[in-house]
Amino acid sequence: MIRCVILGYGFLGRRLAKELALNRVEGVKLVGIASSKGHIYREKGFKSSELPEDITRASDFREGSSLELVDGRLADLLVELTPTNIRDGEPGLSHIRRALEEGMDVVTANKGPMALAYEELTGLAEERGVMLLYEATVGGGMPLISLQKRCLMADELLEIRGILNGTTNYILSRMHFEGMTFDLALREAQMLGIAERDPSLDINGIDTALKIVILANSLMNARRKLSDVKVKGIRKVTSEAVAAAKESGMAIKLIGTASEEELSVAPRLIKLGDPLCIHGTLNAVNFKLRILGNLTIIGEGAGESTVSALLNDIREVARARSG
Amino acid sequence: MRVRLTLALVDRPGVLLKALEQIALNGGNIISIIHNRDRITSGYVPVSVNVEFPDPASLERAKKGIEGSGIPVIEAETLEKEIATMILVGKADVDALIRKVEEHGSKISALHLTGGVESPCLKLLVEAPHDKLRPLLSSLEKLAEEWDALLITEG
Ligand SMILES: NC(=O)c1ccc[n+]([C@@H]2O[C@H](COP(=O)([O-])OP(=O)(O)OC[C@H]3O[C@@H](n4cnc5c(N)ncnc54)[C@H](OP(=O)(O)O)[C@@H]3O)[C@@H](O)[C@H]2O)c1
Repeated sequence: MIRCVILGYGFLGRRLAKELALNRVEGVKLVGIASSKGHIYREKGFKSSELPEDITRASDFREGSSLELVDGRLADLLVELTPTNIRDGEPGLSHIRRALEEGMDVVTANKGPMALAYEELTGLAEERGVMLLYEATVGGGMPLISLQKRCLMADELLEIRGILNGTTNYILSRMHFEGMTFDLALREAQMLGIAERDPSLDINGIDTALKIVILANSLMNARRKLSDVKVKGIRKVTSEAVAAAKESGMAIKLIGTASEEELSVAPRLIKLGDPLCIHGTLNAVNFKLRILGNLTIIGEGAGESTVSALLNDIREVARARSG
Repeated sequence: MRVRLTLALVDRPGVLLKALEQIALNGGNIISIIHNRDRITSGYVPVSVNVEFPDPASLERAKKGIEGSGIPVIEAETLEKEIATMILVGKADVDALIRKVEEHGSKISALHLTGGVESPCLKLLVEAPHDKLRPLLSSLEKLAEEWDALLITEG
């Protein structure tokens, strides 16, 4: 039985804990959960009815660092779901690093560590002979990394292009269809809980840039950093610009691109018939391959769908460890 | 992309065939051939071949192949123009913009201004020779940065 701990008991952590407590992945038992305040460890595992709403209220809640769940051979698998930090990747980076050093497999949705320390972490995982899976960092539940690594490994990926941020796509879509100003569309997105209270990482294109770095490094064998991405956000996109694009049969979309020549994020003109031209909170990614040609995947790029990618990665670990 | 290749052929049978083979070998589709017999210079006949190539890389390979078989390529001129739509958001110096486009052997075929002085938005249709579009876009990008404006291009 693989003993699993979840660090980060927020939106994703809670939903994933529920799935694991319902034994959705055979051979994996949830034994620990942690928030910023402390953690709970139950060696015999959690039943779904035993999952606390507020972990600090549980009788076996312990204040202290989440690293206590990673040290001391209490678990075999870490699922890292703490907030993304683009400055230094913490606390996720330390969590993942320590777990790998301890010989644990790691599954994460946290973009910070994977974008800032990709080489170090994948190198460490390889050295220790453990798995580090991060499908959920990019495109929510959409299979991008596993798709390329499993189904397209013999072909040559020449370019990745896509809409990788649902918040900005929602804003641009509302501007396109309703003629809204940027500010109004942003406020609406915040009211609906699509945009965060501080939406700057999305609006400035940084969230997309992090994802482009992760995709380029893991799928194109690049060794790129966030500072290698030329980033332009959507804050300067006006309703006049959106209308002018529409008149020419196009829409303005925030597009992340990775090719051998460059990594970039910028608002671009996309023809209305282009497979990438999808609207609302949807994401779309196009792989341009030498033999296959173009392949486009469309799906919900965040929210609950992300749990699907997390479960798939966990299952991948379970499969590898069962044989 | 359509290209006019001008070759310097020695006036001997079979030489042209060698060049055409290299073009076909690299995916080029020959549209027409013009012998400029009135322009014979020191034993060479300039021959212009109009070819459709799938991409710039195949053109480059064909050029190498032709030269490798001892036939000098005098000129390779792109015949097709690309038309690109772009939108410039923010204050811009339109004269400087036009000058920059012309410097790159390109021209603006349509220009549409909306938003007034409050929120200026300029939509341009630019006609550029195939190989000039990329360098043109990056220098326009620089201009936009200088003006603190946003250039939105296709892609
Ligand atoms: N939500 C999505 O749709 C989505 C999609 C893809 C990727 N992601 C990424 O997945 C991660 C989790 O997202 P989320 O939406 O679930 O975030 P969230 O709701 O903000 O939850 C984050 C959780 O991490 C906890 N935390 C903070 N510092 C911690 C520490 N030192 N040790 C243990 N726990 C700590 C927080 O605890 P407190 O409650 O005590 O503050 C909170 O429970 C983020 O990196 C995010 O970027 C999210």
